[in-house]
Amino acid sequence: MNSLEQLQDYIKTKNNSRNFINISDVPEVCKTEPCMLGVDEAGRGPVLGPMVYGIAYCPVNKNSILESLGCADSKALTEEKRDEILLKMFTNDDAVNNVGWAAEIISPSYISNSMYKRAKHSLNEVSMDSAIKLIKRVAESGVNLTEVYVDTVGPPEKYQARLSQIFPDYKITVAKKADSIYPIVSAASIVAKVTRDHCLKVWHFQEGLEMSYKEFGSGYPGDPLTKKFIRDQIDKVFGYPSLVRFSWSTAEVMLQGKAATCTFEDVDDDGQTKKANTKSISSFFTMPNENGTKKRKRHKFFEERYLSMKNAFE
Amino acid sequence: MSIQVENNLGNGDNKEVFEQRAHFIPCKVEEDGEANVKKYFEPYITDDSGDLTATFRGYPLDGTKIALPEGYRAVIATETKRPLAEDADRRFQVAGGFKEVIYWNWDKKPSKNDNLTKAMDWIDIAAAIHGD
Repeated sequence: MNSLEQLQDYIKTKNNSRNFINISDVPEVCKTEPCMLGVDEAGRGPVLGPMVYGIAYCPVNKNSILESLGCADSKALTEEKRDEILLKMFTNDDAVNNVGWAAEIISPSYISNSMYKRAKHSLNEVSMDSAIKLIKRVAESGVNLTEVYVDTVGPPEKYQARLSQIFPDYKITVAKKADSIYPIVSAASIVAKVTRDHCLKVWHFQEGLEMSYKEFGSGYPGDPLTKKFIRDQIDKVFGYPSLVRFSWSTAEVMLQGKAATCTFEDVDDDGQTKKANTKSISSFFTMPNENGTKKRKRHKFFEERYLSMKNAFE
Repeated sequence: MSIQVENNLGNGDNKEVFEQRAHFIPCKVEEDGEANVKKYFEPYITDDSGDLTATFRGYPLDGTKIALPEGYRAVIATETKRPLAEDADRRFQVAGGFKEVIYWNWDKKPSKNDNLTKAMDWIDIAAAIHGD
């Protein structure tokens, strides 16, 4: 990748309802020198667009390069500044020869589908899976990893235990706000954030909607443009275009009020289909059938196949 | 009361009208009428050698194609206005038809234990009992 336009073009070639990975070449020095790797995510909270997991890695003794690129707390950087830093990571010789990166783009459809599985797969699990996948991918491509730093929103202990179990040879540090402490995590954060921003910029609605990111906003539920989008772009039957994370309460609540009611079969906490086989208490007090004749039961064949006599034009 | 079904669409030569694709969704949708299936649903169908996936309202679906039983065809009939009286005559118009049904389950691979597939057994049994 040589420019942000190239990044956009690459994103455009991908189906935006599926996940995909964008990954740099491995700098030669990273195959021999011990390396550190940072992990961070972007777009966890928004109701619109993908969530992006980013990683960056470089030799342990090359922190100075990261600092000279300007990798610091990415939340304190402006969008322009982040774009500029990623562009440097793509083109600056010192960066290209020492710092590798990768991003996984996790589509909004994938997020909703995971959270609406029969056995629910939470966003934390989706996040961890992505981080693990990216670290493995980098290790398999020959990078000599020794240290891993992860930024997390959730409880660090569980995350750290899981990663240490999978990667026992690395020194692993999971911390809140790691983004502002470790420059390698800041770099990962910039990769993730800029990738997400550009995903939204080139978002193509497969539903045929002609709308740009300037109209639907940042995707955060508090953004007035996003609010307007969530309120106005409702299809009675299908709900929303696939840009929207249906599993977010902002979207759920809006659809409950404004779209056709949809009822899936009920599932209780064990993922089992509910069966109403307990008689209600009042049924014991009602009079038996007046003339005492029982309604003739249909043969088991029909019962098992859910077949009954009905007027098709009812 | 009698039920009349009129067909102003011809004898079924028009493939676009009579060979549409029907989707059987594992969800009760409280709405009748046209739906933007082509825009909102079909772009997201994936086909891995017959194992289909799709998404509806964020729910993951697994599907499979079901052919209509031999000798049968499916017709869509619509009623402009339902008469108020219970026993009044009813008139329906043929609005189209389909030859193929895609059967969808919510996050569960379709199998011969699915209700619709089981109900189809009746077609063969009925032919054996009531046929010539």
